[in-house]
Amino acid sequence: MTAYLSGIWDARYFWSHLCLSDLRARFRRSYLGASWSILQPLGMTLLISLVLSRMFHISLAEYAPYILSGLVLWEFVIGTATIGALAFVQADAYIKQCHHPLAIYTLRTTLANLIVFAMGSISLVIWVLATSPHYFGWSWLAALLIFPIGVMIAWPLATTLAYVAARFRDLPHALGLLFQALWFVSPVYFEAKIFRAGGLHALVDYNPIYHLLEIVRAPLLRGAWPTAQNFAYCLGMIAVLLLLAWLVGRKAEKKVIFYL
Amino acid sequence: MKSKRIVLTDVHLYYSSFAYKERSLKTLLAHLVRARPGPTVKDIHALKGITLEVGAGERVCLLGHNGAGKSSFLKMVAGLYPIARGTRTVHGTVRSLFDLSLGFEPEATGRENILYRGLLLGLTPAFMRRIENEIVECADIGEFIDYPIKIYSAGMQVRLAFAISTAVGGDVLLLDEVIGAGDVNFMAKARRRILELVDQSEVMILATHDLASARSMCQRGLVLQHGCLVFDGPVGDAIDAYQHMAGVAA
Repeated sequence: MTAYLSGIWDARYFWSHLCLSDLRARFRRSYLGASWSILQPLGMTLLISLVLSRMFHISLAEYAPYILSGLVLWEFVIGTATIGALAFVQADAYIKQCHHPLAIYTLRTTLANLIVFAMGSISLVIWVLATSPHYFGWSWLAALLIFPIGVMIAWPLATTLAYVAARFRDLPHALGLLFQALWFVSPVYFEAKIFRAGGLHALVDYNPIYHLLEIVRAPLLRGAWPTAQNFAYCLGMIAVLLLLAWLVGRKAEKKVIFYL
Repeated sequence: MKSKRIVLTDVHLYYSSFAYKERSLKTLLAHLVRARPGPTVKDIHALKGITLEVGAGERVCLLGHNGAGKSSFLKMVAGLYPIARGTRTVHGTVRSLFDLSLGFEPEATGRENILYRGLLLGLTPAFMRRIENEIVECADIGEFIDYPIKIYSAGMQVRLAFAISTAVGGDVLLLDEVIGAGDVNFMAKARRRILELVDQSEVMILATHDLASARSMCQRGLVLQHGCLVFDGPVGDAIDAYQHMAGVAA
């Protein structure tokens, strides 16, 4: 295990460059370049909140940051998982030539998406500072924890999926459906109180996605600290995903090359 | 430990058939309808009980017909393929030249790809910047070095790949049919570069069909047939054995 981790560390120049090259490729020859990672979620948020704020009779200024926080975090975790599921298949040329720990290829995807996520978060912070500056305070420090927590959730998730997807190519197709379902039962765009009003408490209280979102939403949207329970759910999710990645990887790591 | 660079005992390598089997709803339904089953695909037993030692300073050539297991052998030594049984011990850094054009980023320029390839091999950015000019000079593709790889001709890609891959040597050098890269001008340069690499390395294993270069570059020859090691001895005798096996008069 330590040998595996030190292998990841030894290859740091390689994956950090792959990650930056992914970002460069994403914005290559586009006029607005990296600012798209700020503009795109912002535009999407305006669109969604224009409709939903009318439907649910909430003020746009209040609802938009809720949507935006849900949108950027969801895109990060799910985007990393879906793109990361194909990370080994896409890196086949590297895998067939050089022996590196496979987790570096999902780390590449995770970090590239993390940077886009961080850029998207900037517009959230600016929005909240402009509309509700009174929420600004020490609790915002807790919101920063979303970055390490997010990486530790998205990376093992993507790695586990990538092991499986190398062998079962149906997985990426099924994932789209699965994540859509997850999105639908989680308070990503719809407010938690709507679920509660419908008697669906369990979908909020036992939903790790809700607790993950609370790490950002409690400080930024309410000026409050996230609860110990929020952190407990996040840490639990990290532990489960790390264990899963380890269990699957223990057997699959060496065999992936046969399935590429 | 310095004297023995590669130690293999009873190494078996299987390719899982799972990867090539048609597994789709379509084939499943076809199987139900058709009474006669299609051809069955089994796991491929690519290397069968290979046992050998290679010491420091040895130059070994690997002979055998197509599909005898030469590339599998090299990739197993490089640690890319997991072995099913037996033990594999390799000391020192392994540098391998297999399929050179693999692993270019098509959108990135030649210069950027030099960096990426170097990092893939585990080198540092600072070191790559130091040897960048030397690689550019060797590839000799003019101003194209600053254009994206995707507009390169196949020959230019090979030249760049070759120049990068041969820029740094290792203790254990594994070569798979790389001498035939590029046009006539490049060939001479390529041969020189390969020989330099071979000189730097402690152990060299060359898989080839070119018997002349096998004879000139190696002292020891291994002959593989259907995944078995059928001959291990001086290169001249190995070539005789290989030609005898192939039914060609020596």
